[in-house]
Amino acid sequence: MASAVGKVPSLIGSAIAQARPKFNIFMKYARVELAPPKLSEIPQIKAGIGKLLTSAKTGAWKDQTIKQATLNALVGAEVIFWFYVGECIGKRHIVGYDV
Amino acid sequence: MSELPYGPPVRVSPLIRFGRWSFLGAGILYGAFHQNRLSKKEAKFREVEAKEKVIRDEKLKKEKAIAAAAEIKALEEMVAPKK
Repeated sequence: MASAVGKVPSLIGSAIAQARPKFNIFMKYARVELAPPKLSEIPQIKAGIGKLLTSAKTGAWKDQTIKQATLNALVGAEVIFWFYVGECIGKRHIVGYDV
Repeated sequence: MSELPYGPPVRVSPLIRFGRWSFLGAGILYGAFHQNRLSKKEAKFREVEAKEKVIRDEKLKKEKAIAAAAEIKALEEMVAPKK
């Protein structure tokens, strides 16, 4: 038991050393895919929101193919799910409120 | 982009990224705010409940005492005529 406990810091060290290259690869993807939007991209965001609103108003959303509609629905659902992830973080409890 | 195992990273549209981060932030704020509100309500309710608990405990003790006395009397009555 003492030898196992003694090995823990070296185990952690070797785990971190193994994970570092994988973490670097993750960071390479994350810098492009997960980054928060820059201020220079605000006009693109406004254009995107405008397109969504006009397509909702003119009924152009009914003219998509089923494949496009499924993809858009999945992406939209994922974006909305982040709200609930944020709520879990804010209430500091996973299921329900801790009163 | 030398040896990335899944190919080049996808250029996610800024609208999607903005939506994700803003929903995340809004969710954190809403969660903290709602948690605060609910815990305040629960604290108030716990105070009221504690006071009522004292009163309720006394009442229950009295009722139990009465019931125990009645039971003892009934038992004695059952035993007595047989003597």
